[in-house]
Amino acid sequence: MISFVLARKARRDGRQRLPFARWPIIPAMSAPPFSFSRLGPAAAAPVRWLAGWWRIVFFGACIIVLAGSPSSYGRHARAALVRHLYQDTAPILWWFTALCALLTLVITRIVVITAFSYGLSQYALEMVIRVLVLELIPLTAALFVALRCTIPNGAALAQLRRDGRFDVWRGRGLDPVVTEVLPRALAGIYATVTLAALSCVIALVLAYLAVYGWTFAGVAGYTHVFGHVFNPSVALIFVLKTLFFSLAVSIIPMASGLYDIESHGSRESAALQGLVRMFAVLLVLESASLAANYA
Amino acid sequence: MDTPPTTPTPLESSEPGAARPVRHLEFKAALLLVFTLMLVAGSVLYLLYARGFFEPTQSLVLVADDAEGVVVGMDMTFSGFPIGRVRRVELSEAGNVRILVDVPRKDAHWLRTSSVFTLVRGLVGGTAIRAFSGVLSDPPLPAGAVRPALRGDATAELPRVLATAREVLENISAMTREEAALRRTLANVQEVTDKLKGPGGAMGVLFGNEADSKKLMAALDRTNAVLARIDQLAARVDGMAAKADTQVFGPQGALDETRATVRELQRLLGDARASLGKVDAVLLEAQGIGANVRGATADLGTLRGEVEANLRKVEGMINELNRKWPFSRDTEVKLP
Repeated sequence: MISFVLARKARRDGRQRLPFARWPIIPAMSAPPFSFSRLGPAAAAPVRWLAGWWRIVFFGACIIVLAGSPSSYGRHARAALVRHLYQDTAPILWWFTALCALLTLVITRIVVITAFSYGLSQYALEMVIRVLVLELIPLTAALFVALRCTIPNGAALAQLRRDGRFDVWRGRGLDPVVTEVLPRALAGIYATVTLAALSCVIALVLAYLAVYGWTFAGVAGYTHVFGHVFNPSVALIFVLKTLFFSLAVSIIPMASGLYDIESHGSRESAALQGLVRMFAVLLVLESASLAANYA
Repeated sequence: MDTPPTTPTPLESSEPGAARPVRHLEFKAALLLVFTLMLVAGSVLYLLYARGFFEPTQSLVLVADDAEGVVVGMDMTFSGFPIGRVRRVELSEAGNVRILVDVPRKDAHWLRTSSVFTLVRGLVGGTAIRAFSGVLSDPPLPAGAVRPALRGDATAELPRVLATAREVLENISAMTREEAALRRTLANVQEVTDKLKGPGGAMGVLFGNEADSKKLMAALDRTNAVLARIDQLAARVDGMAAKADTQVFGPQGALDETRATVRELQRLLGDARASLGKVDAVLLEAQGIGANVRGATADLGTLRGEVEANLRKVEGMINELNRKWPFSRDTEVKLP
């Protein structure tokens, strides 16, 4: 179904030009793949590993450049972008928010009761904000978007490429990176940011209600604690972390699906590869964020 | 040329793009975008509000000798309420620490020219900057005022506590050394305990030999015999006491008789009192008689004088008679 719709839109948008005609972002399936077997089994593995990461980084840079280029938003690409923006975000937005609300209530209750029992209730609210809003919710939102949207999207792109759709679209003058990959990547970024923002707001409101109850008496103190936690450096790290999380969960699964990094496996294998690499990057980003915040 | 459609795998079925076409897609997507933008913009505005971006502030400079624990963004509290926030910490030319605090103008009235600022470091939690305003009628603290921050460090006592604890540990170590008195004492206690467990028991420990302990045991036996006799004696004394009770306090006891005797005595005393009344009357009469006698005695003096005068006259007369009556040698005068 997707292939049919995309092929029809591609035929209508025949004026789309290839931005990287000389050095294609995605090699054609007909092109002979680079063989690492000449290096030997001992040397081939790290070289293949490095090449895989290089392709991911290169692909991410290309996506960012394409996202910043107005020529990428043609009629065909714009329609695909709108469709993916809505379909990747709206269906999961509400029940992910409900899940986060439940998580917030449970964690807030545990932290507040524990802090109260140790006589440290003045630190409970700050701890709740730091643990939930700063650390847990952006990571949870990124993982949720990855599992629900970007990894299946990457697998779908891998399938389309294996089916030779990309070569067909190139033959019609369409760049599949612009018309198919870029909208999915941008939709993944958007979904991550939206989910993280909404869940953070819901978590803040629920944490306030869990600590103060149904009263406005604690708004001033709560706002002060919030401002105390989100000093400029923490706020900047939070924004950067969320942004890089969204980039990681959007680009890595698609890059893993588009490139034959490991071997000629199935689409599930491509999805698994993307998942593993994406988890590694998320771990590094979270560690860097923690180090920047608390080191 | 399109490939023929195949049966979708579970992964394909989970793809968001596999859903059916959405009606009014562009409108819904625009709504979603606006919602996200409003969410992000609202969060940014709330963050700026929480950081005091929209609130006018005045600065206060606290000068301290040590900036340990002071960080940018920490609160300055007044009576537990945060009324200021540290904006910058820097070193002055004199080597002191200058802590620049932003105080919102709506809270600045709590700070007066006589306010005192302290830098307190607790055992739990970070350093806290506190303001104290004793006289709220003093003039308000002007903007940009420079005030010293007094330092109160709860951990400053830790070295002294540690030194004391070290001394205590050294003392304990000295007490528990091999040649320490405590260890010897414990050895002695162990030896005494062994003796206590032995045949002599505590007596052996007290006297050091068995003969003395046997003497003590014999003394104890005799003491027990004496005590038994004392018990018997006490029983007899008890019997005697019971008899004495009967004799004294019984129905025909001494107490009743004593009571009757006392009553009799009271009656006798009443009689005696009546007799004494009569004696008083007699004495009054005697006094009257005495007065009469005294008067008679005065008359007797006069009478005596007269008698003496008469006697002298008689004596003179006799002497005269004797002179005139020489034959008689008897000069004795026979008075009537």
